[in-house]
Amino acid sequence: MNIRRHPVAAPLSFLILLFMWVPLIVVGVNSFNTQTIMAGWGGFTTHWYSLAWHNQDVRTGLKTTLIIAVASSVLSLFVAVTGALWWRRASPKARAVYDGLIFARIILPEVVFATALFFLFLKIHFSLGLTAIVIGHTVWNSAYAAIIVQARMASLDPALEEAAADLGATPWRAFRRVTLSALMPAIIAAGLLAFTFSFDDVVTSVFLQGASNSPLPVVILGMIRFRITPEINAIGLLVMLFTVTIMSMAVIFYATAGSLGRAGRRGSMLDMYR
Amino acid sequence: MTTPAVDLAGVEKRFGDLVAVRHLDLEIEPGEFFSIIGPSGCGKTTTLRMVAGFEDPTAGRVSVSGRDMTGVRPYRRPVNTVFQSYALFPHLDVFENVAFGLREARVGKAEVRARVAEAISLVQLEGREQSRPRKLSGGQQQRVALARALINRPDVLLLDEPLGALDLKLRTEMQTQLKDLQRTVGVTFCYVTHDQGEAFSMSDRVAVMNLGLLEQVGTPEDVYHRPASLFVADFVGKANRFQGRIEEGSSGVYTVDIAGIGSRRVSGPGGLPSGTEVVVVVRPENLRAAPTETRNGLTATVVDASFQGAVRTVRLQAAGLGELTAAAGGAGQAPAPGSAVSLTWDDDHAWLISTGDGTP
Amino acid sequence: MPPPGERPRRRLPAFGGLSRLALLLPTLVITAVCFVIPLGLIAVYSFGTVNQVNFDVYFGWTTQNYHDFTSALYLHTLARSVFLSLSTTLSCAVLGFIFAYYISRQPPRAQQLLLVAVIVPFWTSFIVRTYAWVDLLQNLGPLDRFARTLGLHGHIDILYTPYSIAIGILYSYLPLMILPIYVSLERIEPALYDAAADLGATPFRQFRRVVLPHAVPGLIAGIIIVGVPALGEYVIPEILGGGKTLMAGNLLADQFLETGNYPFGSALAVSVMVVLMLLLFLLRRAQPAAEVQ
Repeated sequence: MNIRRHPVAAPLSFLILLFMWVPLIVVGVNSFNTQTIMAGWGGFTTHWYSLAWHNQDVRTGLKTTLIIAVASSVLSLFVAVTGALWWRRASPKARAVYDGLIFARIILPEVVFATALFFLFLKIHFSLGLTAIVIGHTVWNSAYAAIIVQARMASLDPALEEAAADLGATPWRAFRRVTLSALMPAIIAAGLLAFTFSFDDVVTSVFLQGASNSPLPVVILGMIRFRITPEINAIGLLVMLFTVTIMSMAVIFYATAGSLGRAGRRGSMLDMYR
Repeated sequence: MTTPAVDLAGVEKRFGDLVAVRHLDLEIEPGEFFSIIGPSGCGKTTTLRMVAGFEDPTAGRVSVSGRDMTGVRPYRRPVNTVFQSYALFPHLDVFENVAFGLREARVGKAEVRARVAEAISLVQLEGREQSRPRKLSGGQQQRVALARALINRPDVLLLDEPLGALDLKLRTEMQTQLKDLQRTVGVTFCYVTHDQGEAFSMSDRVAVMNLGLLEQVGTPEDVYHRPASLFVADFVGKANRFQGRIEEGSSGVYTVDIAGIGSRRVSGPGGLPSGTEVVVVVRPENLRAAPTETRNGLTATVVDASFQGAVRTVRLQAAGLGELTAAAGGAGQAPAPGSAVSLTWDDDHAWLISTGDGTP
Repeated sequence: MPPPGERPRRRLPAFGGLSRLALLLPTLVITAVCFVIPLGLIAVYSFGTVNQVNFDVYFGWTTQNYHDFTSALYLHTLARSVFLSLSTTLSCAVLGFIFAYYISRQPPRAQQLLLVAVIVPFWTSFIVRTYAWVDLLQNLGPLDRFARTLGLHGHIDILYTPYSIAIGILYSYLPLMILPIYVSLERIEPALYDAAADLGATPFRQFRRVVLPHAVPGLIAGIIIVGVPALGEYVIPEILGGGKTLMAGNLLADQFLETGNYPFGSALAVSVMVVLMLLLFLLRRAQPAAEVQ
C-alpha cells in the first residue's frame, strides 16, 4: 500500500476495491440476518435460505435457467468452433465482416437486440418461450465464445495439422487428434463463460420468454420489483457463489491451455481405439 | 540404374504471379544424404513441400521410389517430414508424439511399444517418454521430431531447416548426430538449409538453388571447387574473381588471358570455345600472399588482417582488380596494413566460369 | 519461424470448398437470420404504423414515429440516457484509469491479486449486484446512517433517482473499463520510466509523456465497451430507478412489452442505434491517432 510512492492512486484504489466488494458483503451478511429492514444485525438465521428453497417460483426458475444455459452454451460453442475453423482459411474481406459481426453482437445494447428478435419472432409467428430464449442467448454468447476460441486457434502452429497429415492422418483425423485436442481447454473455458452469461441474463430472457416459465434472474427481478426482499439476499449469495465458481473454473481451464494436464494424455490413449 | 528415391521431372510451382520454382529436374539416390541449399526465397522449401505433398506442382511430376505422386495426399505418401518448428503435438507426451504415425496406421499395442522404444533409444531420449514437449529443450524437441518421423520407416525423410533454432554448439553436435543417424538407418535424407557449411558437413550431394532455379548439383567438393555459376561460387564460400578470356584449350584445361595478370592455365568445364569471356575464381585459402616479389605474382596492398584463431583473413587491394581476400593459417606474423605483397596461386586451385557475353 | 520470402502462402490440408461453406452455416444462421435481419426489420418498421386496436403492424412509409419521438417527453428520456451514459463513462474512465495505473505499477504477483480482486465481483450475478445497491441506498439504509454519523442533516434520498442509476452503472461497468486500460499500461516496461528520468523528465512529465500515450488506446477501448452498452441499459434503471421509465432502454422495453406500439418502439431503437454508431465513429476516429505502437 505504498502511499508514499502513489499518494493519490493508492488510497483511491483502496476505496475502489472497497466500493466493489461492500455491496456483495452486505448481501452475503444480510442473507443470514434476522433483521430485514437494514437497521443493523439482528442475529444469525438460515430462515431465508429455507424460504428460498421452498419457493416454487425459485425452483422452477433455477431449473429453467439451467436448461437454457446448458443449451445455449452448447449451441454457442458449435457456432464458435465451426466459425473459427472457417475463419482460418477465409479471405481478409470475409474475415473483416465476420469479426465486425462479433464486435456488433457484443457492443449492441442487449435491449435493442432483444426487441429486434422479439419483433422478428412476432412477425414470423415463431412462438416465444424456452427455444426462443436459447436462440436469443446464443446470438451474443457465440460472439464471446468465438473470441476465446479464435484467440486460442491463432496461437496454434499451423504446421501441427501438416505434421499430422505427414504422419498419415486424414484431414478429419488430423482435426480431431490435433486441432480439437489443442483447442479443448479454450472450448471448455468458452463454454463455461457462455454458461455464466446465460445463467445471469435478464433482458433477452424477459423479452423472449413469452408465457413460459421465467428463468431465475427474471424471477429475481420480479421479486425485487415487488419487494419480497429477505429471500433475495439468500438466493443472491447462492447465485453469486455459483457463478464465481464456474467463472473461476473457466479461467483455470483457459490458463492451462498451453499445458494440458493428465486429461490430455488419457484422451490421447483413448484416441487410439477410435 | 537404381530407381531414384525422389525424382522431380520438369517441376514448376507458381503462386499466382510469383514463380517459386522454375523447371526443376532433380534425382535423389536411395540411401544418400542430399541437401538443397540456397538463400531465402530460392524455392528450396517449396520444393520440399512438393515432395511431402503439402503443395501440388503447377507443372511437372514428382515421383517417390518410382511411383508417381501426382494427386497423392501427404498422408498417403511414403515420406515423413521434420518441420522447422518441430510441430510437436503439445497435448501429447513424447511417447504419443513418436507413436502418432503408428496409431494412424492402426499398429497393434505391443508393436507400438517396441518400435517407440527403439526409436527413442535411437535418438537417445530414454527416460523422457512421459514428458510434454514444452518441458524439453530445443535439442530434445528436435530429436523427438526425428524419432516421430523415422519410426514410420519412410522411403525418404525430409528435413526443413531443423537446426535453425539451436545455438551454434548444439547445432554442430546435432549435425554429427544426424549424419551418423542417417548412416545407421540408411534412409534417404533430403535436407533443406540456407547454411552452406551445415549442408557440406553432412551431405553426400548438394543442390544449389537460386530464385527458383537449380544452379548446380554435385558433391560438396564439386560444388565448392568447381562451381557452375558465379552465384554458386559466391554462395558456398568467399571467392576472388578475375575477369579473363579463353585463349585456347579444350577438354577442361584452358589458357586464359586474365586482365591485369596475363596468361594462366586454368581448369574449367569442358567444351568452351576460344574467345569466351570467363571469370576465374580463386578461393581465399588458395591465394598465397608473399612479402616479396614472385614470378607471376600479382602486386597488392594489405588493407587489414583479421585473426580468427585457426585462420587469418587478409583483405587486400589490387590495382584495377578491386578487393581480394586471402586466408592462411593463424600462425606467424600478421601482415601490416599498407604493406605490399605478391599474390600467387597454383594453377590447379583456380576454376573458370563462363560468363558468355561478359556480364558477371 | 520460416525465413521471410520463403513461403508466400501456407496451405492447410483438409476442408475443401463445399465443406467450408458448411462450416460457415451455423454462424450464418445465427448472425444473418437472428441478428442482422431482425435489426433490419426494426429499421424498416420504424417507418410503419400500428393499428391500435388489434396491434397489427402495417408497413407503410411514414416518418410519423420519428415525429412522435421528438416530442418533449421522449427526447427528454433519450437525452437523459445519453447524459447518464456519458457521465458514468467519464467517471468510470477516471476511476478506472487510476486503479489500472496503480495496478500496473505493482510487482507482478500483486498485479494478479489486485486484478482478481476487482474482477471477481464482476463474476457475480449482475442482477444481484444491482439489487445490493437498493439495500445500501435506501432511506434508513447503511449509506443513510453513515452520512448521519458524518453529521449530515436530513436523509440521503437518492434511491430511485438518476443518481442511484449512475452509481449502479458505475459499479457494474467499472471492471470493464479497468481491464483494457490495464492491458495498455501493462505494456510499459519499467525501463521506460528510467529512460525518461534519465532524459530529464520529472515524475509528472514522465506520467504525461510515457504513461498517458500508452493508456489512450486502452481508454478508448474502455469507453466503447462501457459507454455503448450503458446507453441501452435496462436492468439498472428498472431496479434502481424505481420502475419509472428513466432511460432509453426502459422506454424501448415499455413500447414492446406493454404499450405494443411497435413502430414507435422501432423508431426508438433505430435512434438509439444511430446515436451509438455516431459515438463509435467518433471514437474510432480518435483511435488511430492515439496508437503509440
